[in-house]
Amino acid sequence: MKTLIKIKPKDYKAGDIVKIDFMAMHPMETGMRKNKDTGALIPAEYIDEVKFLFNDTLITKMVIWESLSVNPLMSISFKVPGAGALKVIAKDNKGQSVESTTQITPKG
Amino acid sequence: MERRSFLKGFGAVAACAIALPHVASAAEEKKSAGPNEMNYETAVAAITGGKALVASDKVKMEAPEIAENGAVVPVKVTVESPMTSKDHVKAIHVLASKNGNVRCANIYLTPANGEAFFGTRVKLGGTQDVVAIAEMSDGTFLTAKQNVKVTIGGCG
Repeated sequence: MKTLIKIKPKDYKAGDIVKIDFMAMHPMETGMRKNKDTGALIPAEYIDEVKFLFNDTLITKMVIWESLSVNPLMSISFKVPGAGALKVIAKDNKGQSVESTTQITPKG
Repeated sequence: MERRSFLKGFGAVAACAIALPHVASAAEEKKSAGPNEMNYETAVAAITGGKALVASDKVKMEAPEIAENGAVVPVKVTVESPMTSKDHVKAIHVLASKNGNVRCANIYLTPANGEAFFGTRVKLGGTQDVVAIAEMSDGTFLTAKQNVKVTIGGCG
């Protein structure tokens, strides 16, 4: 599972509220779609939990379902307390899990 | 409408229709809605525990009125709140009222967020209301909704 974390805007100071965009490359299968050739149902496969941690403290937890689009985007706000590590842990219903980290580096 | 933009739009719709023929047929053949099927009333009851939903201006829901492609519908929810430890939004729930499984996302926020915001992209099986429910720290549930007309369903 490839992931991407974006902080918007790029330049921010401690105390600013920034947007964190988290994207994961994932098929988000609903379990309702059929294989066109065989007619068999494609089993559900979707991200069901995403956690955002700053310096290992949980800031936001998401429980999500298959209704999110393919390669889902999840965006939240975050008030920057200072420099530190932002970690995002995403897990899907098949137990596949991915951890991505980015550094929060306020300027000024 | 200019001929050029008309043709562009038509081309896009036609391409989607060709790319997703199995979507419509799957929906017709099969009424059951996958492993997590849940209807709107049940989902709301599970969130609120029977408490009343209050429609509120404090919850701002941004979603398009018309979505050409139901597979990717941008949704943004902002809830007015100081986000202090005494007064904050505990959770934002996003529901698609007529999807097989109406639940899209439950977002559990903390005061560290600074602002109660959640943005995503959802799949909509057809024209329906997209509903946001905000669970406040004082135990109340505020809600807002937006009807989205879907030209081509994105479920299945």
